[in-house]
Amino acid sequence: MSLRVPRALTTAIVSFALTQPALAHEQAGVAGGLVSGLLHPITGIDHLIAMVAVGIWGAQLGAPAIWILPITFPLVMAVGGVLGVLHVPLPMPEVMIAVSAVILGGAVAARLRPPFPAAAFIVAIFAIFHGHAHGAELPRAVNALAYGVGFVTATGLLHLFGITIGTLTRWPAGERIIQGLGAGIAGIGCYFLAQGIGAFA
Amino acid sequence: MKLKSPRALMATAMLLAGANAAEAHIVAARLGDFYMGAMHPLTDLQDVVLWTATGMLAGTLGAKGRWLILVFPLGLLVWLPFGSALGAASTQLAGAAMMLAIGMLLAAAAQVPTLLLCALAFAVAMIRGAANAADLRPETDRLLFAAGLACVGYGAITLTMALTAVFKRPNSDSATSWRAIALRALGGWVAAIGLMMASLVLAS
Repeated sequence: MSLRVPRALTTAIVSFALTQPALAHEQAGVAGGLVSGLLHPITGIDHLIAMVAVGIWGAQLGAPAIWILPITFPLVMAVGGVLGVLHVPLPMPEVMIAVSAVILGGAVAARLRPPFPAAAFIVAIFAIFHGHAHGAELPRAVNALAYGVGFVTATGLLHLFGITIGTLTRWPAGERIIQGLGAGIAGIGCYFLAQGIGAFA
Repeated sequence: MKLKSPRALMATAMLLAGANAAEAHIVAARLGDFYMGAMHPLTDLQDVVLWTATGMLAGTLGAKGRWLILVFPLGLLVWLPFGSALGAASTQLAGAAMMLAIGMLLAAAAQVPTLLLCALAFAVAMIRGAANAADLRPETDRLLFAAGLACVGYGAITLTMALTAVFKRPNSDSATSWRAIALRALGGWVAAIGLMMASLVLAS
């Protein structure tokens, strides 16, 4: 019998076979906190579409919005998160989150290009409302730090996803697709807005 | 590699079958407390976030960061003899405040003076050294634990600085290159986490 096995492969197989799962003492609730934090902005469709819209709009606006946005948004959102942690009530948070999807989606669809400070102000107001919703969950999290790391990371990745989609603006056809996406986001936002004000009750 | 006989294959199979379970916590073994000191900070998310942020800040500053190779492990050792003299809430609040400060500096791409950088890193190391010392048991060999902690602190901070410096590339001076923005965005994330954690500690 003749077997040709590369030496490196043999070494790798033996190394893997000789090991058992590492049983380092795990900090209680880290995995659960991370997963719940990561999923919170993703499983809420109203949050998800608004965050993606922020990224797309940033890409449409170009510099400096495209690079200031990912740096400052989490911080402004954290201010809202602090208000949530401290149980400071904000007026109609669910309605405002739906409004954020309508306005941001509409801005993308209409290719709105306000002066940067105005765009930053609009995004900052909505960031506070989104942060408030996430922050209110923080004290209830099994591991608050893991939850915080999770939701900040998820939000950042959603922006990155939006910015990546926004790069389609380089091509005329891509611009049309993005405008269509913006209109879709605004439409979904309208649904959540109607739900928020009790139109379906 | 050429195995000409089934005997060699059988020997390999027997070797694999006879393998014992690997244990990460080899506290009972010789030098176990050394490994405990080395592993302990890697299992705490606050250590991971703070050490990474500190290493990233130093890595973005280039040659200034070299001082941390010495300062950071020393800082980890300073508070170790005092154990849990600092309360858990105090270390959490101080850690969150440091996350906010370091994250803000990273997000702003601030050119931090060497002295301030060393002071920040020393403070972070002291706070986390105290937090790690709080979990020491009476039977733990403190010297071995300290050696393990200092070694992993040295390794982690050096590796993070090096990786950051390589990622950023020394030649790309622009603070708006995508590599610089990626690092600054991570700084913004760290600052956001620090702000919320500080408020949570203060609220509870």
